[in-house]
Amino acid sequence: MEISARHLENTTIFDVIGDIDLANSPAVRKALLVELREKKIPRVIMNLQRVKYIDSSGIASLVEGLKASRDVQSRLILFGLSKSAREVLQLSRLIKLFEIYENEEQALAAESA
Amino acid sequence: MPRRQLLLRLQLLSNPAVLCGVRGAVSPIAEVVGFSEEDCRAITLAVDEAIANIIRHAYDGKLDRAIEIRFNQISLENGKKNGLEIILLDHGAKPKPDALEGLPPGELRSGGLGLHFMRQSMDTVVHKRVGSTNRLYMVKFVR
Repeated sequence: MEISARHLENTTIFDVIGDIDLANSPAVRKALLVELREKKIPRVIMNLQRVKYIDSSGIASLVEGLKASRDVQSRLILFGLSKSAREVLQLSRLIKLFEIYENEEQALAAESA
Repeated sequence: MPRRQLLLRLQLLSNPAVLCGVRGAVSPIAEVVGFSEEDCRAITLAVDEAIANIIRHAYDGKLDRAIEIRFNQISLENGKKNGLEIILLDHGAKPKPDALEGLPPGELRSGGLGLHFMRQSMDTVVHKRVGSTNRLYMVKFVR
């Protein structure tokens, strides 16, 4: 898995490539927590278009990010979920807690809920 | 009694780096038995979560312990009902009773989802302790 960051004004976009599983979910968690808890970036967006698979440890990392975003009153946004990633999020029954969009354009345009 | 045929036996180390390779093997095996694409993804998730649980809980994150996985095709009613039985064996710690209960999903918590995923993905998930071995039996039938 690879994770890289793009920094826009008040926004960080993480581009993730590859599966998010027990082997690499700690890297996702760390990246999210640095941006949200330490840097207090107002909006963090996860580009998951190239993530074909995510397991419970990956979901747990996103949940940690979501909790952090609520604590610091910023936003964590996901976009580009694959069929498999969406199925797993639905199975967790947590999908409605996340702000999810189809693509980057929509994610950037979305007003705060 | 169901008829069993061993399709694949894997021996691996308790290293999360192997998960990707195991996932790559599961879907083709499930396809051979006749599962749909969606069910193949569900079975792959169940196996991934089961191995992750062994690594994290039975072996406490140690990377060099042994895990064995057996994939058996099973058939009932003279072959009218086909399924896949997956048995995972490890020699780690016995799970704590509350670890087998799982946690209710839907709450904003970061733990306890793995067992829920396994139960949602498979028809049967049963843990047995035999001597010093944990045996996890997971079965799913083709619909």
